[in-house]
Amino acid sequence: MKKKCSALLALLLAACLLLSGCTDPHESGKDARLKVVTSFYPVYIAALNLVDGVPGVDLQNLTQPTTGCLHDYQLTPEDMIAMEGADVLVVNGAGMESFLTKVLESYPSVGLITASDGIALIEEEHDHGHEGHDHAAEAHSHEEEGNPHVWVSISNYMQYVQNIADGLSNADPDHRAVYQINAQKYLAKLTELKTKMHGALDSLPNRGIVTFHEAFGYFAEEFDLQVEAVIEREPGTDPTVQELIETVDKIEESGCRALFAEPQYEARLAETISAETGAKVYTLDPCVSGEYDKDAYLKAMEENLKQLVEALSE
Amino acid sequence: MEAIYGFMESILPFSFMHYDFMKNALLAVLLLTPIFGMIGTMVVDHKLAFFSDALGHSALTGIAIGVLLGISEPVVAMTLFAIVFAILLNSIRRSRVSSSDTVISVFSSTAVALGLVLLSSGGGFSKYSSYLIGDILTIRPAEIGILAVVLVLTLIFWVTCFNKLLQISVNSTLAASRGVPVKAMELIFILVIAVIVTISIRWVGILIINSLLILPAAASRNVARNMRQYHLLSVLFSMAAGVAGLVVSYYYGSAAGPTIVLVSAVFFFATFFLKRLVRN
Repeated sequence: MKKKCSALLALLLAACLLLSGCTDPHESGKDARLKVVTSFYPVYIAALNLVDGVPGVDLQNLTQPTTGCLHDYQLTPEDMIAMEGADVLVVNGAGMESFLTKVLESYPSVGLITASDGIALIEEEHDHGHEGHDHAAEAHSHEEEGNPHVWVSISNYMQYVQNIADGLSNADPDHRAVYQINAQKYLAKLTELKTKMHGALDSLPNRGIVTFHEAFGYFAEEFDLQVEAVIEREPGTDPTVQELIETVDKIEESGCRALFAEPQYEARLAETISAETGAKVYTLDPCVSGEYDKDAYLKAMEENLKQLVEALSE
Repeated sequence: MEAIYGFMESILPFSFMHYDFMKNALLAVLLLTPIFGMIGTMVVDHKLAFFSDALGHSALTGIAIGVLLGISEPVVAMTLFAIVFAILLNSIRRSRVSSSDTVISVFSSTAVALGLVLLSSGGGFSKYSSYLIGDILTIRPAEIGILAVVLVLTLIFWVTCFNKLLQISVNSTLAASRGVPVKAMELIFILVIAVIVTISIRWVGILIINSLLILPAAASRNVARNMRQYHLLSVLFSMAAGVAGLVVSYYYGSAAGPTIVLVSAVFFFATFFLKRLVRN
Protein backbone atom coordinates (compact mmCIF):
# COMPACT_ATOMS: atom_id res chain seq x y z
CA MET A 1 0.00 0.00 0.00
CA LYS A 2 2.73 2.40 1.01
CA LYS A 3 4.59 1.66 -2.18
CA LYS A 4 1.52 2.39 -4.24
CA CYS A 5 1.00 5.67 -2.45
CA SER A 6 4.50 6.90 -2.98
CA ALA A 7 4.41 5.85 -6.63
CA LEU A 8 1.24 7.86 -7.05
CA LEU A 9 2.80 10.84 -5.32
CA ALA A 10 5.80 10.69 -7.60
CA LEU A 11 3.52 10.55 -10.60
CA LEU A 12 1.60 13.61 -9.42
CA LEU A 13 4.81 15.52 -8.84
CA ALA A 14 6.07 14.62 -12.28
CA ALA A 15 2.80 15.78 -13.80
CA CYS A 16 3.07 19.12 -11.98
CA LEU A 17 6.60 19.61 -13.24
CA LEU A 18 5.63 18.72 -16.78
CA LEU A 19 2.65 21.07 -16.80
CA SER A 20 4.54 23.99 -15.36
CA GLY A 21 7.16 23.49 -18.05
CA CYS A 22 4.56 24.07 -20.75
CA THR A 23 5.16 27.25 -22.67
CA ASP A 24 2.84 30.05 -21.72
CA PRO A 25 1.17 31.53 -24.81
CA HIS A 26 1.26 35.00 -23.28
CA GLU A 27 4.88 35.16 -22.31
CA SER A 28 6.17 36.25 -25.69
CA GLY A 29 6.50 39.95 -24.94
CA LYS A 30 7.80 39.82 -21.38
CA ASP A 31 10.35 42.58 -21.84
CA ALA A 32 8.06 44.91 -23.75
CA ARG A 33 7.97 48.55 -22.71
CA LEU A 34 4.22 48.96 -23.00
CA LYS A 35 1.73 46.10 -22.74
CA VAL A 36 -1.55 46.91 -24.47
CA VAL A 37 -4.45 44.50 -24.01
CA THR A 38 -7.60 44.75 -26.09
CA SER A 39 -10.90 43.24 -25.06
CA PHE A 40 -11.97 41.66 -28.33
CA TYR A 41 -11.45 41.35 -32.05
CA PRO A 42 -12.57 44.70 -33.59
CA VAL A 43 -10.69 46.66 -30.92
CA TYR A 44 -7.63 44.52 -31.51
CA ILE A 45 -7.74 45.13 -35.27
CA ALA A 46 -7.99 48.88 -34.73
CA ALA A 47 -5.12 48.85 -32.25
CA LEU A 48 -3.06 46.64 -34.56
CA ASN A 49 -3.14 49.39 -37.17
CA LEU A 50 -2.18 52.04 -34.63
CA VAL A 51 0.80 50.43 -32.92
CA ASP A 52 2.44 49.59 -36.24
CA GLY A 53 6.08 50.64 -36.11
CA VAL A 54 6.03 51.71 -32.47
CA PRO A 55 8.97 50.01 -30.74
CA GLY A 56 8.48 47.90 -27.60
CA VAL A 57 4.72 47.59 -27.70
CA ASP A 58 3.27 44.20 -26.81
CA LEU A 59 -0.27 44.06 -28.15
CA GLN A 60 -2.48 41.23 -26.93
CA ASN A 61 -6.10 40.34 -27.31
CA LEU A 62 -7.92 39.21 -24.19
CA THR A 63 -10.35 36.88 -25.94
CA GLN A 64 -9.90 34.47 -28.81
CA PRO A 65 -10.19 35.78 -32.38
CA THR A 66 -13.05 33.32 -32.91
CA THR A 67 -15.08 34.44 -29.90
CA GLY A 68 -17.22 37.02 -31.66
CA CYS A 69 -19.48 39.35 -29.72
CA LEU A 70 -18.97 39.17 -25.99
CA HIS A 71 -22.60 38.59 -25.04
CA ASP A 72 -22.61 36.09 -22.17
CA TYR A 73 -18.83 35.80 -22.34
CA GLN A 74 -17.08 34.01 -19.52
CA LEU A 75 -13.43 34.71 -18.83
CA THR A 76 -11.04 31.78 -18.93
CA PRO A 77 -7.87 31.64 -16.83
CA GLU A 78 -5.93 32.22 -20.05
CA ASP A 79 -7.69 35.58 -20.45
CA MET A 80 -6.78 36.57 -16.90
CA ILE A 81 -3.14 35.75 -17.61
CA ALA A 82 -3.23 38.14 -20.57
CA MET A 83 -4.36 40.88 -18.17
CA GLU A 84 -1.33 40.31 -15.95
CA GLY A 85 1.12 43.16 -16.27
CA ALA A 86 -1.03 45.15 -18.70
CA ASP A 87 -0.36 48.89 -18.86
CA VAL A 88 -3.31 49.80 -21.01
CA LEU A 89 -6.61 48.04 -21.58
CA VAL A 90 -8.60 49.01 -24.65
CA VAL A 91 -12.29 48.18 -24.51
CA ASN A 92 -15.31 48.82 -26.68
CA GLY A 93 -17.45 50.06 -23.82
CA ALA A 94 -21.21 50.70 -24.12
CA GLY A 95 -21.90 47.55 -22.13
CA MET A 96 -20.10 45.09 -24.40
CA GLU A 97 -17.60 44.04 -21.74
CA SER A 98 -19.94 43.77 -18.78
CA PHE A 99 -17.87 40.82 -17.52
CA LEU A 100 -14.82 43.07 -17.15
CA THR A 101 -16.12 45.38 -14.42
CA LYS A 102 -15.19 42.92 -11.69
CA VAL A 103 -11.84 42.12 -13.30
CA LEU A 104 -10.84 45.77 -13.51
CA GLU A 105 -11.34 46.15 -9.77
CA SER A 106 -8.42 43.78 -9.30
CA TYR A 107 -6.21 45.80 -11.67
CA PRO A 108 -6.67 49.39 -10.47
CA SER A 109 -3.44 50.62 -12.10
CA VAL A 110 -4.39 49.67 -15.65
CA GLY A 111 -5.07 52.62 -17.92
CA LEU A 112 -8.46 52.23 -19.57
CA ILE A 113 -9.26 53.39 -23.10
CA THR A 114 -12.92 53.24 -24.03
CA ALA A 115 -13.13 53.22 -27.81
CA SER A 116 -16.81 54.12 -28.01
CA ASP A 117 -16.36 57.36 -26.02
CA GLY A 118 -18.33 60.24 -27.46
CA ILE A 119 -20.31 58.11 -29.91
CA ALA A 120 -24.05 58.60 -29.64
CA LEU A 121 -25.57 55.23 -28.72
CA ILE A 122 -28.77 53.87 -30.18
CA GLU A 123 -31.18 53.12 -27.39
CA GLU A 124 -32.54 49.63 -27.80
CA GLU A 125 -36.23 49.54 -28.40
CA HIS A 126 -37.09 46.25 -26.85
CA ASP A 127 -40.33 44.91 -28.05
CA HIS A 128 -40.16 41.39 -26.72
CA GLY A 129 -43.62 40.39 -27.69
CA HIS A 130 -45.22 40.29 -24.26
CA GLU A 131 -47.18 43.33 -23.20
CA GLY A 132 -46.50 45.64 -20.30
CA HIS A 133 -45.90 43.60 -17.23
CA ASP A 134 -42.22 42.79 -17.49
CA HIS A 135 -41.00 45.87 -19.30
CA ALA A 136 -40.08 47.63 -16.11
CA ALA A 137 -37.78 44.77 -15.17
CA GLU A 138 -36.15 44.69 -18.58
CA ALA A 139 -35.51 48.42 -18.72
CA HIS A 140 -33.12 47.95 -15.84
CA SER A 141 -31.19 45.16 -17.49
CA HIS A 142 -28.16 45.62 -19.72
CA GLU A 143 -30.20 46.98 -22.61
CA GLU A 144 -30.51 50.27 -20.81
CA GLU A 145 -26.99 51.03 -21.92
CA GLY A 146 -27.84 51.05 -25.60
CA ASN A 147 -26.58 49.04 -28.50
CA PRO A 148 -22.87 48.26 -28.08
CA HIS A 149 -22.13 47.41 -31.74
CA VAL A 150 -20.85 50.88 -32.59
CA TRP A 151 -17.87 49.78 -34.67
CA VAL A 152 -20.05 48.26 -37.39
CA SER A 153 -20.72 51.76 -38.76
CA ILE A 154 -17.66 53.11 -40.54
CA SER A 155 -18.07 56.68 -39.27
CA ASN A 156 -18.29 55.44 -35.71
CA TYR A 157 -15.36 53.15 -36.28
CA MET A 158 -13.31 56.15 -37.42
CA GLN A 159 -14.15 57.91 -34.17
CA TYR A 160 -13.28 54.65 -32.42
CA VAL A 161 -9.85 54.56 -34.10
CA GLN A 162 -9.21 58.19 -33.19
CA ASN A 163 -10.18 57.54 -29.56
CA ILE A 164 -7.79 54.62 -29.33
CA ALA A 165 -5.00 56.62 -31.00
CA ASP A 166 -5.50 59.47 -28.51
CA GLY A 167 -5.59 57.07 -25.60
CA LEU A 168 -2.39 55.36 -26.70
CA SER A 169 -0.72 58.75 -27.28
CA ASN A 170 -1.53 59.74 -23.71
CA ALA A 171 -0.29 56.44 -22.32
CA ASP A 172 2.90 56.57 -24.37
CA PRO A 173 3.54 60.30 -25.07
CA ASP A 174 7.04 59.70 -26.49
CA HIS A 175 5.54 58.04 -29.54
CA ARG A 176 2.52 60.29 -29.94
CA ALA A 177 3.54 61.25 -33.47
CA VAL A 178 3.70 57.64 -34.68
CA TYR A 179 0.27 56.79 -33.25
CA GLN A 180 -1.26 59.86 -34.84
CA ILE A 181 0.36 59.23 -38.23
CA ASN A 182 -0.83 55.62 -38.14
CA ALA A 183 -4.30 56.85 -37.28
CA GLN A 184 -4.25 59.31 -40.21
CA LYS A 185 -3.20 56.57 -42.60
CA TYR A 186 -5.88 54.16 -41.37
CA LEU A 187 -8.55 56.85 -41.32
CA ALA A 188 -7.73 57.75 -44.93
CA LYS A 189 -8.35 54.14 -45.95
CA LEU A 190 -11.61 54.10 -44.01
CA THR A 191 -12.78 57.36 -45.60
CA GLU A 192 -12.12 55.90 -49.01
CA LEU A 193 -14.08 52.75 -48.09
CA LYS A 194 -16.95 54.82 -46.77
CA THR A 195 -17.17 56.90 -49.95
CA LYS A 196 -17.09 53.76 -52.03
CA MET A 197 -19.85 52.11 -50.01
CA HIS A 198 -22.05 55.20 -50.10
CA GLY A 199 -21.55 55.37 -53.86
CA ALA A 200 -22.63 51.77 -54.31
CA LEU A 201 -25.43 51.61 -51.75
CA ASP A 202 -27.15 55.00 -51.86
CA SER A 203 -28.84 54.42 -55.18
CA LEU A 204 -30.11 50.88 -54.56
CA PRO A 205 -33.89 50.55 -54.79
CA ASN A 206 -34.55 48.31 -51.75
CA ARG A 207 -33.66 49.53 -48.28
CA GLY A 208 -35.07 46.79 -46.02
CA ILE A 209 -32.84 44.24 -44.31
CA VAL A 210 -33.39 41.58 -41.65
CA THR A 211 -30.39 40.89 -39.48
CA PHE A 212 -29.50 38.05 -37.19
CA HIS A 213 -28.79 39.95 -34.00
CA GLU A 214 -28.76 43.64 -33.21
CA ALA A 215 -25.27 44.21 -34.59
CA PHE A 216 -26.25 46.31 -37.60
CA GLY A 217 -28.16 49.19 -36.02
CA TYR A 218 -25.38 51.74 -36.55
CA PHE A 219 -24.49 50.33 -39.94
CA ALA A 220 -28.09 50.69 -41.11
CA GLU A 221 -28.21 54.23 -39.77
CA GLU A 222 -25.09 55.20 -41.66
CA PHE A 223 -26.26 53.82 -45.01
CA ASP A 224 -29.91 54.70 -44.55
CA LEU A 225 -31.07 51.09 -44.50
CA GLN A 226 -34.15 49.94 -42.67
CA VAL A 227 -33.72 47.04 -40.22
CA GLU A 228 -37.16 45.49 -40.57
CA ALA A 229 -36.67 42.71 -38.06
CA VAL A 230 -34.00 41.09 -35.91
CA ILE A 231 -34.14 37.29 -35.76
CA GLU A 232 -32.51 36.71 -32.39
CA ARG A 233 -33.71 39.29 -29.86
CA GLU A 234 -31.48 38.10 -27.06
CA PRO A 235 -28.05 37.23 -28.44
CA GLY A 236 -27.32 33.53 -27.96
CA THR A 237 -30.92 32.61 -27.18
CA ASP A 238 -33.18 30.97 -29.71
CA PRO A 239 -36.34 32.94 -30.34
CA THR A 240 -39.58 31.45 -29.05
CA VAL A 241 -42.32 30.40 -31.44
CA GLN A 242 -44.10 33.70 -30.88
CA GLU A 243 -41.01 35.76 -31.63
CA LEU A 244 -40.32 33.71 -34.74
CA ILE A 245 -43.87 34.28 -35.94
CA GLU A 246 -43.61 38.01 -35.27
CA THR A 247 -40.42 38.12 -37.30
CA VAL A 248 -42.05 36.22 -40.16
CA ASP A 249 -45.07 38.52 -40.09
CA LYS A 250 -42.90 41.63 -40.05
CA ILE A 251 -40.93 40.39 -43.05
CA GLU A 252 -44.10 39.62 -44.96
CA GLU A 253 -45.61 43.00 -44.10
CA SER A 254 -42.53 44.96 -45.12
CA GLY A 255 -41.97 42.96 -48.29
CA CYS A 256 -38.31 42.65 -47.37
CA ARG A 257 -36.54 40.13 -49.60
CA ALA A 258 -33.15 39.84 -47.93
CA LEU A 259 -32.21 38.04 -44.73
CA PHE A 260 -28.72 38.43 -43.38
CA ALA A 261 -27.08 35.68 -41.40
CA GLU A 262 -23.81 36.34 -39.59
CA PRO A 263 -20.74 34.15 -40.03
CA GLN A 264 -20.38 33.93 -36.23
CA TYR A 265 -23.70 32.15 -35.82
CA GLU A 266 -25.35 29.16 -37.45
CA ALA A 267 -27.56 30.09 -40.38
CA ARG A 268 -30.27 27.56 -39.49
CA LEU A 269 -32.75 30.07 -38.13
CA ALA A 270 -32.29 32.36 -41.09
CA GLU A 271 -32.86 29.37 -43.37
CA THR A 272 -36.05 28.43 -41.55
CA ILE A 273 -37.35 31.97 -41.96
CA SER A 274 -36.21 31.99 -45.56
CA ALA A 275 -38.23 28.83 -46.25
CA GLU A 276 -41.22 30.48 -44.62
CA THR A 277 -41.10 33.86 -46.35
CA GLY A 278 -39.19 33.24 -49.56
CA ALA A 279 -36.65 35.94 -48.63
CA LYS A 280 -33.11 34.96 -49.58
CA VAL A 281 -30.28 34.41 -47.09
CA TYR A 282 -27.10 36.48 -47.43
CA THR A 283 -24.23 37.04 -45.04
CA LEU A 284 -23.25 40.23 -43.25
CA ASP A 285 -20.11 40.19 -41.15
CA PRO A 286 -20.06 42.55 -38.17
CA CYS A 287 -16.25 42.09 -38.10
CA VAL A 288 -16.11 40.49 -34.68
CA SER A 289 -14.07 37.43 -35.56
CA GLY A 290 -11.48 36.32 -38.06
CA GLU A 291 -7.76 36.38 -38.69
CA TYR A 292 -5.46 38.80 -36.90
CA ASP A 293 -4.94 40.81 -40.05
CA LYS A 294 -4.48 44.58 -40.15
CA ASP A 295 -6.91 44.95 -43.01
CA ALA A 296 -9.54 42.57 -41.60
CA TYR A 297 -12.09 45.35 -41.05
CA LEU A 298 -11.61 46.76 -44.55
CA LYS A 299 -11.91 43.31 -46.10
CA ALA A 300 -15.01 42.36 -44.13
CA MET A 301 -16.72 45.60 -45.16
CA GLU A 302 -15.82 45.07 -48.82
CA GLU A 303 -17.45 41.64 -48.60
CA ASN A 304 -20.51 43.12 -46.87
CA LEU A 305 -20.77 45.65 -49.67
CA LYS A 306 -20.82 42.88 -52.28
CA GLN A 307 -23.50 40.96 -50.42
CA LEU A 308 -25.63 44.06 -49.89
CA VAL A 309 -25.41 45.15 -53.50
CA GLU A 310 -26.47 41.68 -54.60
CA ALA A 311 -29.28 41.45 -52.06
CA LEU A 312 -30.76 44.91 -52.42
CA SER A 313 -30.68 45.38 -56.16
CA GLU A 314 -33.08 42.52 -56.81
CA MET B 1 -43.80 18.34 -49.30
CA GLU B 2 -46.31 20.86 -50.67
CA ALA B 3 -48.96 18.15 -50.85
CA ILE B 4 -48.39 17.23 -47.20
CA TYR B 5 -48.53 20.90 -46.16
CA GLY B 6 -51.79 21.35 -48.06
CA PHE B 7 -53.27 18.25 -46.46
CA MET B 8 -52.23 19.38 -42.99
CA GLU B 9 -53.75 22.80 -43.51
CA SER B 10 -57.04 21.34 -44.64
CA ILE B 11 -57.44 18.96 -41.70
CA LEU B 12 -55.99 21.30 -39.07
CA PRO B 13 -57.57 24.73 -39.51
CA PHE B 14 -55.65 26.37 -36.66
CA SER B 15 -53.77 29.63 -36.82
CA PHE B 16 -50.40 27.99 -36.08
CA MET B 17 -50.76 25.72 -39.09
CA HIS B 18 -50.36 28.79 -41.24
CA TYR B 19 -46.60 28.66 -40.75
CA ASP B 20 -44.45 26.14 -42.58
CA PHE B 21 -42.04 25.78 -39.68
CA MET B 22 -44.91 24.78 -37.40
CA LYS B 23 -46.00 22.19 -39.94
CA ASN B 24 -42.44 20.90 -40.09
CA ALA B 25 -42.25 20.78 -36.30
CA LEU B 26 -45.56 18.93 -36.07
CA LEU B 27 -44.46 16.39 -38.68
CA ALA B 28 -41.19 15.89 -36.82
CA VAL B 29 -43.04 15.37 -33.54
CA LEU B 30 -45.38 12.87 -35.18
CA LEU B 31 -42.39 10.90 -36.44
CA LEU B 32 -40.18 11.21 -33.36
CA THR B 33 -42.66 10.43 -30.61
CA PRO B 34 -43.68 6.93 -31.83
CA ILE B 35 -39.97 6.04 -32.04
CA PHE B 36 -39.48 7.17 -28.46
CA GLY B 37 -42.66 5.41 -27.35
CA MET B 38 -41.58 2.09 -28.84
CA ILE B 39 -37.95 2.13 -27.79
CA GLY B 40 -38.83 3.62 -24.41
CA THR B 41 -40.78 0.55 -23.31
CA MET B 42 -37.79 -1.66 -24.00
CA VAL B 43 -35.41 0.76 -22.29
CA VAL B 44 -37.59 0.67 -19.20
CA ASP B 45 -37.90 -3.14 -19.28
CA HIS B 46 -34.17 -3.60 -19.57
CA LYS B 47 -33.53 -1.08 -16.79
CA LEU B 48 -31.44 1.00 -19.17
CA ALA B 49 -32.94 4.41 -18.29
CA PHE B 50 -29.70 5.69 -16.83
CA PHE B 51 -27.74 4.17 -19.70
CA SER B 52 -29.76 6.05 -22.32
CA ASP B 53 -29.35 9.20 -20.27
CA ALA B 54 -25.58 8.78 -20.45
CA LEU B 55 -25.83 8.26 -24.20
CA GLY B 56 -27.71 11.53 -24.54
CA HIS B 57 -25.05 13.33 -22.55
CA SER B 58 -22.27 11.79 -24.61
CA ALA B 59 -23.71 13.63 -27.59
CA LEU B 60 -22.15 16.82 -26.20
CA THR B 61 -18.68 15.41 -26.79
CA GLY B 62 -19.83 14.17 -30.19
CA ILE B 63 -20.92 17.68 -31.12
CA ALA B 64 -17.64 19.10 -29.89
CA ILE B 65 -15.64 16.63 -31.97
CA GLY B 66 -17.78 17.46 -34.97
CA VAL B 67 -17.19 21.16 -34.46
CA LEU B 68 -13.45 20.67 -33.97
CA LEU B 69 -13.18 18.66 -37.16
CA GLY B 70 -15.05 21.43 -38.90
CA ILE B 71 -18.02 19.30 -39.89
CA SER B 72 -20.83 21.79 -40.19
CA GLU B 73 -23.46 19.12 -39.57
CA PRO B 74 -21.96 17.18 -36.69
CA VAL B 75 -24.47 14.31 -36.89
CA VAL B 76 -21.92 11.97 -38.48
CA ALA B 77 -19.31 12.64 -35.80
CA MET B 78 -21.95 12.40 -33.11
CA THR B 79 -23.30 9.07 -34.33
CA LEU B 80 -19.84 7.54 -34.63
CA PHE B 81 -18.93 8.79 -31.18
CA ALA B 82 -22.17 7.54 -29.65
CA ILE B 83 -21.63 4.09 -31.16
CA VAL B 84 -18.07 3.87 -29.81
CA PHE B 85 -19.22 5.23 -26.48
CA ALA B 86 -22.10 2.75 -26.26
CA ILE B 87 -19.91 -0.24 -27.09
CA LEU B 88 -17.28 0.83 -24.57
CA LEU B 89 -19.85 1.52 -21.89
CA ASN B 90 -21.57 -1.78 -22.54
CA SER B 91 -18.39 -3.82 -22.27
CA ILE B 92 -17.38 -2.15 -19.03
CA ARG B 93 -20.88 -2.53 -17.69
CA ARG B 94 -20.67 -6.27 -18.43
CA SER B 95 -17.25 -6.74 -16.86
CA ARG B 96 -18.70 -5.72 -13.47
CA VAL B 97 -15.58 -4.05 -12.11
CA SER B 98 -17.79 -1.75 -10.10
CA SER B 99 -21.52 -1.30 -9.91
CA SER B 100 -23.27 -0.48 -13.13
CA ASP B 101 -24.74 2.89 -12.16
CA THR B 102 -21.36 4.13 -10.95
CA VAL B 103 -19.69 3.20 -14.24
CA ILE B 104 -22.44 4.84 -16.26
CA SER B 105 -22.23 7.97 -14.15
CA VAL B 106 -18.46 8.15 -14.60
CA PHE B 107 -18.83 7.88 -18.37
CA SER B 108 -21.68 10.32 -18.54
CA SER B 109 -19.98 13.03 -16.51
CA THR B 110 -16.70 12.57 -18.37
CA ALA B 111 -18.48 12.98 -21.70
CA VAL B 112 -20.28 16.11 -20.55
CA ALA B 113 -17.14 17.66 -19.12
CA LEU B 114 -15.09 16.84 -22.20
CA GLY B 115 -17.80 18.29 -24.43
CA LEU B 116 -17.97 21.47 -22.35
CA VAL B 117 -14.20 21.87 -22.31
CA LEU B 118 -13.92 21.48 -26.07
CA LEU B 119 -16.89 23.69 -26.90
CA SER B 120 -16.03 26.46 -24.44
CA SER B 121 -12.39 26.67 -25.47
CA GLY B 122 -13.12 29.76 -27.59
CA GLY B 123 -15.03 31.25 -24.66
CA GLY B 124 -18.38 31.10 -26.36
CA PHE B 125 -20.41 28.13 -25.24
CA SER B 126 -23.65 30.05 -25.64
CA LYS B 127 -23.51 29.38 -29.39
CA TYR B 128 -24.25 25.73 -28.73
CA SER B 129 -26.96 26.20 -26.16
CA SER B 130 -29.58 25.13 -28.68
CA TYR B 131 -28.23 21.59 -28.37
CA LEU B 132 -29.19 21.60 -24.71
CA ILE B 133 -32.90 22.18 -25.15
CA GLY B 134 -33.22 21.46 -28.86
CA ASP B 135 -34.85 23.57 -31.54
CA ILE B 136 -37.46 21.62 -33.38
CA LEU B 137 -38.66 24.79 -35.10
CA THR B 138 -35.65 24.88 -37.43
CA ILE B 139 -36.03 21.33 -38.74
CA ARG B 140 -35.78 21.07 -42.53
CA PRO B 141 -37.88 18.89 -44.83
CA ALA B 142 -34.86 16.71 -45.68
CA GLU B 143 -34.31 16.05 -41.99
CA ILE B 144 -37.95 15.11 -41.57
CA GLY B 145 -37.26 12.55 -44.31
CA ILE B 146 -34.40 11.12 -42.24
CA LEU B 147 -36.71 10.83 -39.24
CA ALA B 148 -39.23 8.96 -41.38
CA VAL B 149 -36.52 6.49 -42.39
CA VAL B 150 -35.50 6.08 -38.76
CA LEU B 151 -39.12 5.40 -37.80
CA VAL B 152 -39.41 2.68 -40.43
CA LEU B 153 -36.11 1.10 -39.32
CA THR B 154 -37.23 1.23 -35.70
CA LEU B 155 -40.47 -0.51 -36.63
CA ILE B 156 -38.54 -3.23 -38.47
CA PHE B 157 -36.24 -3.66 -35.48
CA TRP B 158 -39.20 -3.81 -33.13
CA VAL B 159 -41.07 -6.41 -35.18
CA THR B 160 -38.06 -8.67 -35.64
CA CYS B 161 -36.35 -8.37 -32.26
CA PHE B 162 -39.09 -7.62 -29.79
CA ASN B 163 -39.75 -11.23 -28.71
CA LYS B 164 -36.11 -12.04 -28.12
CA LEU B 165 -35.53 -8.84 -26.18
CA LEU B 166 -38.59 -9.53 -24.08
CA GLN B 167 -37.27 -12.97 -23.18
CA ILE B 168 -33.93 -11.49 -22.20
CA SER B 169 -35.55 -8.81 -20.05
CA VAL B 170 -37.68 -11.41 -18.25
CA ASN B 171 -34.86 -13.89 -17.63
CA SER B 172 -31.64 -13.73 -19.56
CA THR B 173 -30.39 -17.19 -18.44
CA LEU B 174 -33.58 -18.82 -19.58
CA ALA B 175 -33.43 -16.89 -22.84
CA ALA B 176 -29.86 -18.05 -23.43
CA SER B 177 -30.83 -21.66 -22.78
CA ARG B 178 -33.48 -21.31 -25.45
CA GLY B 179 -30.92 -20.23 -28.00
CA VAL B 180 -31.36 -16.44 -27.88
CA PRO B 181 -27.99 -14.76 -28.52
CA VAL B 182 -28.21 -12.62 -25.40
CA LYS B 183 -25.02 -10.61 -25.74
CA ALA B 184 -25.48 -9.90 -29.43
CA MET B 185 -29.10 -8.87 -28.98
CA GLU B 186 -28.25 -6.53 -26.12
CA LEU B 187 -25.48 -4.97 -28.14
CA ILE B 188 -27.76 -4.42 -31.12
CA PHE B 189 -30.38 -2.91 -28.87
CA ILE B 190 -27.88 -0.55 -27.28
CA LEU B 191 -26.62 0.53 -30.69
CA VAL B 192 -30.17 1.22 -31.81
CA ILE B 193 -30.70 3.43 -28.75
CA ALA B 194 -27.41 5.19 -29.46
CA VAL B 195 -28.30 5.96 -33.07
CA ILE B 196 -31.84 7.10 -32.28
CA VAL B 197 -30.71 9.33 -29.45
CA THR B 198 -28.00 10.97 -31.57
CA ILE B 199 -30.14 11.56 -34.62
CA SER B 200 -32.92 13.18 -32.66
CA ILE B 201 -30.82 15.17 -30.21
CA ARG B 202 -30.62 18.26 -32.44
CA TRP B 203 -34.39 18.65 -32.24
CA VAL B 204 -35.06 17.44 -28.75
CA GLY B 205 -32.05 18.58 -26.74
CA ILE B 206 -29.50 16.86 -24.53
CA LEU B 207 -31.15 17.84 -21.28
CA ILE B 208 -34.52 16.33 -22.05
CA ILE B 209 -34.09 13.54 -24.57
CA ASN B 210 -34.10 10.85 -21.91
CA SER B 211 -37.33 12.11 -20.39
CA LEU B 212 -39.03 11.62 -23.74
CA LEU B 213 -37.73 8.07 -23.85
CA ILE B 214 -38.68 7.14 -20.29
CA LEU B 215 -41.78 9.07 -19.29
CA PRO B 216 -44.32 7.71 -21.82
CA ALA B 217 -43.20 4.14 -21.19
CA ALA B 218 -43.30 4.64 -17.43
CA ALA B 219 -46.76 6.18 -17.63
CA SER B 220 -47.96 3.33 -19.77
CA ARG B 221 -46.53 0.77 -17.36
CA ASN B 222 -48.71 2.28 -14.64
CA VAL B 223 -51.93 1.34 -16.36
CA ALA B 224 -51.22 -1.29 -19.01
CA ARG B 225 -52.53 -4.77 -18.29
CA ASN B 226 -50.53 -6.70 -20.88
CA MET B 227 -47.59 -6.30 -23.24
CA ARG B 228 -49.68 -5.19 -26.17
CA GLN B 229 -51.40 -2.47 -24.16
CA TYR B 230 -48.10 -1.45 -22.67
CA HIS B 231 -46.55 -0.71 -26.05
CA LEU B 232 -49.67 0.76 -27.60
CA LEU B 233 -50.28 3.12 -24.69
CA SER B 234 -46.64 4.14 -24.57
CA VAL B 235 -46.73 5.17 -28.23
CA LEU B 236 -50.07 6.92 -27.72
CA PHE B 237 -48.91 8.81 -24.63
CA SER B 238 -45.74 9.79 -26.39
CA MET B 239 -47.55 11.12 -29.47
CA ALA B 240 -50.26 12.88 -27.49
CA ALA B 241 -47.70 14.57 -25.25
CA GLY B 242 -45.67 15.58 -28.32
CA VAL B 243 -48.55 17.25 -30.12
CA ALA B 244 -50.02 18.80 -26.96
CA GLY B 245 -46.60 20.07 -25.88
CA LEU B 246 -45.93 21.65 -29.26
CA VAL B 247 -49.32 23.39 -29.31
CA VAL B 248 -48.94 24.61 -25.72
CA SER B 249 -45.45 25.92 -26.49
CA TYR B 250 -46.92 27.84 -29.44
CA TYR B 251 -49.51 29.64 -27.35
CA TYR B 252 -47.39 30.00 -24.24
CA GLY B 253 -44.17 31.00 -26.00
CA SER B 254 -42.03 28.37 -24.28
CA ALA B 255 -39.42 26.03 -25.75
CA ALA B 256 -41.11 23.05 -27.40
CA GLY B 257 -38.98 20.16 -26.04
CA PRO B 258 -39.34 20.90 -22.32
CA THR B 259 -43.05 21.59 -22.75
CA ILE B 260 -43.51 18.14 -24.31
CA VAL B 261 -41.67 16.62 -21.36
CA LEU B 262 -43.93 18.43 -18.90
CA VAL B 263 -47.03 17.08 -20.63
CA SER B 264 -45.52 13.57 -20.46
CA ALA B 265 -44.87 14.09 -16.77
CA VAL B 266 -48.52 15.04 -16.29
CA PHE B 267 -49.46 11.76 -17.99
CA PHE B 268 -47.15 9.86 -15.69
CA PHE B 269 -48.55 11.32 -12.48
CA ALA B 270 -52.13 11.00 -13.69
CA THR B 271 -51.67 7.30 -14.46
CA PHE B 272 -49.74 6.81 -11.23
CA PHE B 273 -52.58 8.11 -9.10
CA LEU B 274 -55.13 6.33 -11.26
CA LYS B 275 -53.36 3.08 -10.53
CA ARG B 276 -53.34 3.73 -6.78
CA LEU B 277 -56.99 4.69 -6.87
CA VAL B 278 -57.94 1.50 -8.69
CA ARG B 279 -55.89 -0.62 -6.31
CA ASN B 280 -57.52 0.82 -3.22
